[in-house]
Amino acid sequence: MTDVCLIFQVHQPYRLKEYGFDLIGKDHAYEDSARNISLLNRIADLCYIPTNKILLDAIEKHKGKFRIAFSISGTALEQFYRYRPDVIESFRKLSQTGCVEFLAETYYHSLASLYSEAEFRRQVVKHERAIQNLLEVRPTVFRNTELIYSDKLLPVISDLGYKTILAEGKSQNMGGLSPNRVFTAGTENINILTRNFGFSDDIAFRFADSSWNEFPLSAKKYANWLSKREEDEHSLVLYMDYETFGEHRKQETGIMDFLGALPDEIVTHENLQFSLPSDAANNGPEIKPVYSSKEWTSWADEDKDLGAWQYDHMQKDALKNLYACELSLYKIGRPDLLDTWGRLQTSDHFYYMSTRFWQDPVHRIFNPYNSPYDAYLNFMNALSDFKGLIMKA
Amino acid sequence: MTSKPKVLMLGWEFPPVLTGGLGTACYGLAKALSKYAEIELLIPQADKDTQLENVHIRGMNFFGINGGQTVEVPMQPLEEFAKVRKIPAPSLNPYPVGIGFEKEAVALKSPEAIRALYSGSEPYGPNIMQKVATYAEVAVRMALETEFDVIHAHDWITFPAAVRIKEITGKPLVIHIHSLETDRVGELAKGDWNRVYEVEKKAMEKADRIIPVSRYTQDCAIKNYGISEEKFYPVHNAIDPEESFRLPNKSGEKLVLFLGRVTFQKGPEFMVETAWKLLQVYPDVIFFVAGVGDMLEKLKALVLERKIDHKFVFAGFLSQSNVKKVLAQADVYFMPSVSEPFGLSALEAAGFDVPCVISRQSGVAEVLPNALNANFWDTGKFANYIYGLLNYSGIREEMVERTKQDLSRLSWDDAAKDVMEVYRSLEI
Repeated sequence: MTDVCLIFQVHQPYRLKEYGFDLIGKDHAYEDSARNISLLNRIADLCYIPTNKILLDAIEKHKGKFRIAFSISGTALEQFYRYRPDVIESFRKLSQTGCVEFLAETYYHSLASLYSEAEFRRQVVKHERAIQNLLEVRPTVFRNTELIYSDKLLPVISDLGYKTILAEGKSQNMGGLSPNRVFTAGTENINILTRNFGFSDDIAFRFADSSWNEFPLSAKKYANWLSKREEDEHSLVLYMDYETFGEHRKQETGIMDFLGALPDEIVTHENLQFSLPSDAANNGPEIKPVYSSKEWTSWADEDKDLGAWQYDHMQKDALKNLYACELSLYKIGRPDLLDTWGRLQTSDHFYYMSTRFWQDPVHRIFNPYNSPYDAYLNFMNALSDFKGLIMKA
Repeated sequence: MTSKPKVLMLGWEFPPVLTGGLGTACYGLAKALSKYAEIELLIPQADKDTQLENVHIRGMNFFGINGGQTVEVPMQPLEEFAKVRKIPAPSLNPYPVGIGFEKEAVALKSPEAIRALYSGSEPYGPNIMQKVATYAEVAVRMALETEFDVIHAHDWITFPAAVRIKEITGKPLVIHIHSLETDRVGELAKGDWNRVYEVEKKAMEKADRIIPVSRYTQDCAIKNYGISEEKFYPVHNAIDPEESFRLPNKSGEKLVLFLGRVTFQKGPEFMVETAWKLLQVYPDVIFFVAGVGDMLEKLKALVLERKIDHKFVFAGFLSQSNVKKVLAQADVYFMPSVSEPFGLSALEAAGFDVPCVISRQSGVAEVLPNALNANFWDTGKFANYIYGLLNYSGIREEMVERTKQDLSRLSWDDAAKDVMEVYRSLEI
């Protein structure tokens, strides 16, 4: 029997406004609230509300056999709470079915794991509280921003009480094995669930690509592919941006119908069952292969490395300057400044600065700036002002 | 085309007499092209010290010497381009030209007068129309005595000659556009009195192929001259790799460099507006203006009026070696041109690892994707870019590193190959 874990990442950053050098020292509001609200409204109407409805209907229809998981960033939760409480309400309804699990992560969808253990802990705990307050569940599976992983994470994750981590199915980390099994981290007694990026990207990237030789993809065909499992393939982790449904891929592509039909098709295969990630991790065999990486890896791009966020001079410089604020902020201890700092840590800001992937069409879609230089300068101007606030505090 | 094609090339500026990018580009291209084609190059003023292998250079300042009516430069050993010096021409304002003076050609039977016409240090000047008309007379005569497959003419000053040679010989005409009258004077180009616009328009209409130095220039030609798109084959300029160096800047103030003619086309008043905005927030910067032109006095008055005159250095026209010394100290190269067909000096700055802030209305932006650009009137954005470059190290390092790669992809040899493709398309 193979556990199918369908996991959706839900994230919205606080995008910055156009922050020119002449605002430094004068204007301490860095975000483009109007734009963030209008984008949130658009995506809520195109994706979150209708897709939640499709999933809720499927859960009710299959009476416990259809199970899914979400990983919702704190910045997304916070914006739903403020501007679209109906989205929170629909997630709460999903939560109440008992067939939906919510994963833990850093509140600000940040790269804190790479820079500061203290800050990383602060953000994981803050996220836990938000999930508990808004959705009334306590997460037990951890997923780091962009599936960033290294063995260095393990002691902290373990100390925070998590027994399972979601990671990318990067071949080198799995000793060349297929991702379709539960791994162990070796130390710390932590289970690793590994994303099958081939099957995940079939939905997230190739679904609407008419030049793909499998186009158009039907739920029946896809379920057939999933069912062709060897006996030792205990798990299939499908993990993708939730915004794939209705936002990145519009309804006209048939993506919503595909998702609606997928549970019906998968339950017809006797060797497949939908499982919550925490259950799938426990269902693995006693003796598990080891998942390990000394280097930092992620789910992004061909190289599965940090290249999209922490590669070129601008990204490194911005991150270095941002995390240099840490000690002063802890000393000052003002929650409002810590929160602003957290929002500036959201990984999207650094993704926008990537010159390496500037011309890559996938990266372009998600970038509100004309160039990585504009993204960097805007961020640095805002950060300059923020540093001024710290000095004065 | 089996053997090397024979090209009758008509040029104007050529080292050592340079006032802008035209002569540098013409030299770079002719040198690279000589590998693939036999070139007869006719220019107003040749110099014994500036020779190119496989390029037969004829200067009108030598007209009538060596016997007959042909013009020929006595061959000298090839000199390195590095030794070429830029000579400051008195007016330094070839574009726009002053017209309304003598327009009649000097008679071919007075070679001395012709030699005298092209022996001054000013390639343009008030008698420019006479120079252009005489050039056409001589060029036609020379064309009749020369065997060639294709005419290749650089900028409007050679176009009357080029069009007549095409009409008489029937050989295909390729015109190379380094700059248009609409770039130089804007809407004034279409005024009734302006003959340059008509010369350009007629030549583009008669030409078999047009080589603009950028897609930007192609778009300008299509939009402002109504030329059909199929004729255009844009070829970007390049630079020869050169040793660059850095000099320490001991003043404690950052240096923003403006290099070029101080004239409408180069947008100097947008530089002042940008400087003013930047200086309100960040005073530790000097704007260094290297160049002269018809707007220089107006510009000086403007910075005085804005009370930022103490932040401006007007250095006048600089020799090539002094330009390098300034580039070696500059923190930002700033080119807010209103309309810049290419902008070769930005490539030179980039070659000295100076990050470039340039207007979007410039051709060089097409080959410098890692320069910062904004619309020429967007002085707030320019100021923001310059502020960032002066204050944040990440963007400097990134731009310099990436621009090095961009420059390494540019070569005159590639430009020459592209030009050969244009010739081939003519089936000569």
